Amino acid sequence: MNRYGGRVTAAQTVGAEPDDVAERLSAGSKDALAETYERWSALVYTIALRALRDHADAEDVTQQVFVSAWNSRHTLRPAPGVMPGWLVGIARHRIADVRTQRFRSSRNVRAVGATMHHDEAQPAEHEDLAGRLFVAHELEHLGEPRGTVLRLAFIEDRPSSEIASILDMPVGTVKSHIRRGLLQLRSRLREVDGVAP
Amino acid sequence: MSHPDQESLVDLALGDADLNTRHGDHVRGCAACSSFVAEIRRARDLVAGSVEVAEWDQPPADVWNRIERAVDVDAAPAGPGATPPRYAARAARRSRAPWWVAAASVAGIVVGLAFGWAFWNDPARPSPTIARTALDTLDTRQPRGEAALVGTGEALDLRVDTTALDAGSGYLEVWLINRDGKRMVSVGVLRGAGTETFPVSQALIAQGYVVVDISREGYDDKPQHSGDSLARGALPA
Repeated sequence: MNRYGGRVTAAQTVGAEPDDVAERLSAGSKDALAETYERWSALVYTIALRALRDHADAEDVTQQVFVSAWNSRHTLRPAPGVMPGWLVGIARHRIADVRTQRFRSSRNVRAVGATMHHDEAQPAEHEDLAGRLFVAHELEHLGEPRGTVLRLAFIEDRPSSEIASILDMPVGTVKSHIRRGLLQLRSRLREVDGVAP
Repeated sequence: MSHPDQESLVDLALGDADLNTRHGDHVRGCAACSSFVAEIRRARDLVAGSVEVAEWDQPPADVWNRIERAVDVDAAPAGPGATPPRYAARAARRSRAPWWVAAASVAGIVVGLAFGWAFWNDPARPSPTIARTALDTLDTRQPRGEAALVGTGEALDLRVDTTALDAGSGYLEVWLINRDGKRMVSVGVLRGAGTETFPVSQALIAQGYVVVDISREGYDDKPQHSGDSLARGALPA
């Protein structure tokens, strides 16, 4: 654990209610599992579907992710905003399992080097896909204008001064949204990467 | 030297030249700061490459029903006459197992069924075998033995049972490769055919080091994997 592990204040709330679904899930509430599914099954399913390109496999992965989430709810460290990253982290492992299965039944290779390269090539692609979809999802939930600032800065590659004039806000505010936004995303990505298989 | 603050590191990650002049040397030499900078850049790159999602796909309604059945059976074993789905029945049977075994079983069943590996194939057996896998050659999938993860709690054993492995002029080494395909750890040296046991930790397995690999190593000064794998199998954990 390094000194950057501190929590970043999460903006995600449902209406005015504090978002305590993670807390309730880890305490063993079935309703919280239903709510978790309601809110994030589309995220998990979309990632699985695009990574595996097969409806039946994507459905199986989705099922496994939420059953795993239930079974390992004790490992969840409840904090606002952790849920989607945690679920995507689980999904990534289940997707990797399916890919390993497919890989093993379709190809045999001789040396570690070759295997590693092959193994690495495909998961890297899908991992990246999962990461990009997850970040797209998080951008939708960062709140405005932060999401827009990040999109303008990194998708459209515009300098802060230009973003400032587009959104009619001081350059300092733009820069601060960029910093806070990237810090938030980094912390969410750590949730994804922190999930044990 | 003290670490720059997070905001400075973000700016440095985004290419601020002044900050780079001031803190670049520290960051390059500091594991915490350099991985922080790398993580910020990764976040930036993922934003840059983020996929435009017009509409998120909804899973069919049936998926939730399957989940509900699975977790209900897990919480309260089905009464007489009930025929829970197979995955649920398996989960219920091990409700006293550590959480990660339960979590792993969900994946394990799928993988296990697909490969026909003997996984929890004998529920009456009191043995604390957590997972097992066949060890096959990589090219033609010839059986070369079996590996099993046994034990409970933090201290586990990897039991490797092999036949017919030719060490050539070198020796045989057992590895656990991470499922990410990027990392591996050496578990120990295999003396020959037969059963040998190597201590491993639960934490290692939980981190994804589940692919058992046996390599032929030469007597050289290279501690890393030779690249010459004789047998391999993935534990469904």
